[in-house]
Amino acid sequence: MSQAIEIRRRRRWFGGREGAQKRFVAGVTLPAIAFMLVFSLLPIVWAFALAFFDFSPRRAGTPFLGLGGNNPFVGLEHFRQMLDTSTGQSVQVSQFHTALKVTLAFAFLVVPLNLAITLPLAAMIESVHERVKPVFRTVFFLPVLASSVGVAIIWVFVLHPQNGLLNGIIRAFTGKTTQIGWITDARLVFLGIPVALIAVIVAYLWQDIGYNLVIFIAALQAIPQSVKDAARVDGASAWQTFRHITLPLLMPTILLTSILTMISAFQVFDLFQVMTDGGPQDQTRALSLDIYQEAFRFQKMGWAAAVSVVLFALVFVISLAQTRLLRSRWEY
Amino acid sequence: MATTSERVPVSERRDEPRRSGVGRYRASRGLLYVVLIVLGIVAALPFVWMFLSSFKSAAEIRQVPPTFWPQEGTLDNYRTILNDPELPLWLFYKNSAFIAIMNTIATLFTGSILGYVFAKFEFRGRQALFWFILGTMMIPSQVTMLPGYLILMQLRLLNNPWGLIIPSFISAFAVFVMRQFIVSIPNDEIYSARVDGASEWRIYRSIVLPQLGAPLATLGMLTFMFNWNAYLWPLIVLTQPNKRTLPIILYWYSTQHSSQVNLVMAASVLIVIPVLIVFALSQKWIVRGLTLTGGK
Repeated sequence: MSQAIEIRRRRRWFGGREGAQKRFVAGVTLPAIAFMLVFSLLPIVWAFALAFFDFSPRRAGTPFLGLGGNNPFVGLEHFRQMLDTSTGQSVQVSQFHTALKVTLAFAFLVVPLNLAITLPLAAMIESVHERVKPVFRTVFFLPVLASSVGVAIIWVFVLHPQNGLLNGIIRAFTGKTTQIGWITDARLVFLGIPVALIAVIVAYLWQDIGYNLVIFIAALQAIPQSVKDAARVDGASAWQTFRHITLPLLMPTILLTSILTMISAFQVFDLFQVMTDGGPQDQTRALSLDIYQEAFRFQKMGWAAAVSVVLFALVFVISLAQTRLLRSRWEY
Repeated sequence: MATTSERVPVSERRDEPRRSGVGRYRASRGLLYVVLIVLGIVAALPFVWMFLSSFKSAAEIRQVPPTFWPQEGTLDNYRTILNDPELPLWLFYKNSAFIAIMNTIATLFTGSILGYVFAKFEFRGRQALFWFILGTMMIPSQVTMLPGYLILMQLRLLNNPWGLIIPSFISAFAVFVMRQFIVSIPNDEIYSARVDGASEWRIYRSIVLPQLGAPLATLGMLTFMFNWNAYLWPLIVLTQPNKRTLPIILYWYSTQHSSQVNLVMAASVLIVIPVLIVFALSQKWIVRGLTLTGGK
């Protein structure tokens, strides 16, 4: 009989423990779910909903999220306008087209340039003496840690037409007086790309390469030296070893970093706003800047939300395509 | 580029003592250092230029052609900024620090406790919730920025530092990283603590948390740095000048003094450099955190 009591007591005891665990899980997850609903799910759904309304926060709409009433439902009108390529298009549409081109050009130039710099640079840093390795790594990594506003302000001064470092260096080498307005002169175009955009790309690369650099250095360190030594003993040249041993082993890392670099390149805002604020003549008006200005300068939040949906779709499609493309190359 | 494998294996060197091979090896080593040093100087130049320019006088900074070294170094720029009543730097340091520290504490707490729950408990909807939290990382901030602003407007949290803290209470990245680490904590430790009668909260605090020192430090540094440097979201939420954070103030100051670049450079040094030194010293932790995302 005492045994039965003991069993029952133990069962209750375990039950109590499970109850405590359940309460703990509920106590942690329920607030988290409530939080995610308000600050993650709601904004996503709301952003897509806004895209279908002519919404301005200055106008009071219906009590339901301010949508409707003075902020009327316009359906697919915003997206229809985006496809309007006629000459009679409104300013916001032509600026959107410009922004789309700027962002695509920026991202498609930044990613290959970034990889073309960081991969060899990582290999070089990886092969110098252990003692000086951290010195080089820090020099290239420091801009990653700096405030991007600070970085942008430094670059504006480096590129200053009269007192800037770049024109000073050019003068020192050529002996000619140069007053090139790298980020202010809309007439400057190189290979069809506005020089102002190139300047932002250079500043962005300067700020961003350290990030991929440390990732590639870590990936290179993960490759066992014995594998490379074996290839060398078999008579492979340095280049062949890199091409046939190191590169294939790095492929997963290259894939991931190129996707991450592309995604962040699509969203760059700080450098564009501080360095050029979209100028000269909208030559550097990136999508993120377009969204910010439409929403907060002109209060056209419905339109801005539609543009942000396009940005989201772009990021999504391109990262999918990139995954496919690079994966098919590396799994033969 | 091919220099990684330029390192001659010891065995090979012993077998064929060819002078020319070693000589070529030395030459390419030398070239490697030259290239790296040149690139390093180019990379460091903008910072050096900012630093040197902050000691130039107003007349010298406008000189054409520009000077590189300050001809007569002066601390006037720093004096002007530190005495500028329109630029109470300590206030903006305080604003930035408050937001960054609170965000770091919140992220570390929610990340570790949610990571623990996802790693060590079975409950209905666990997978779905975990993937939903991870999925939010895919959404560009420009998409959620507009409704985020409207939500803060409804909650009357615009122009309030809490408006920058509350919406980022849970970081998907932190939850993910913490879960990865907590999975490797042995279940036995948790079971035996439970048998000893420790409460679930106690197990989290005294068994799980103490084992997370390294990942917490890494994540803490990353979160702090990210918030300290944040620009777009604070720009939208904080429109009152005295509520603003350092990056916004730096941009504002640069537009106010666009013709006095010497002052702007000194302000940049004061705003960017102190924390940059702290970040550089804790580089090891930050790099570890970044490679975590880039790794597999």
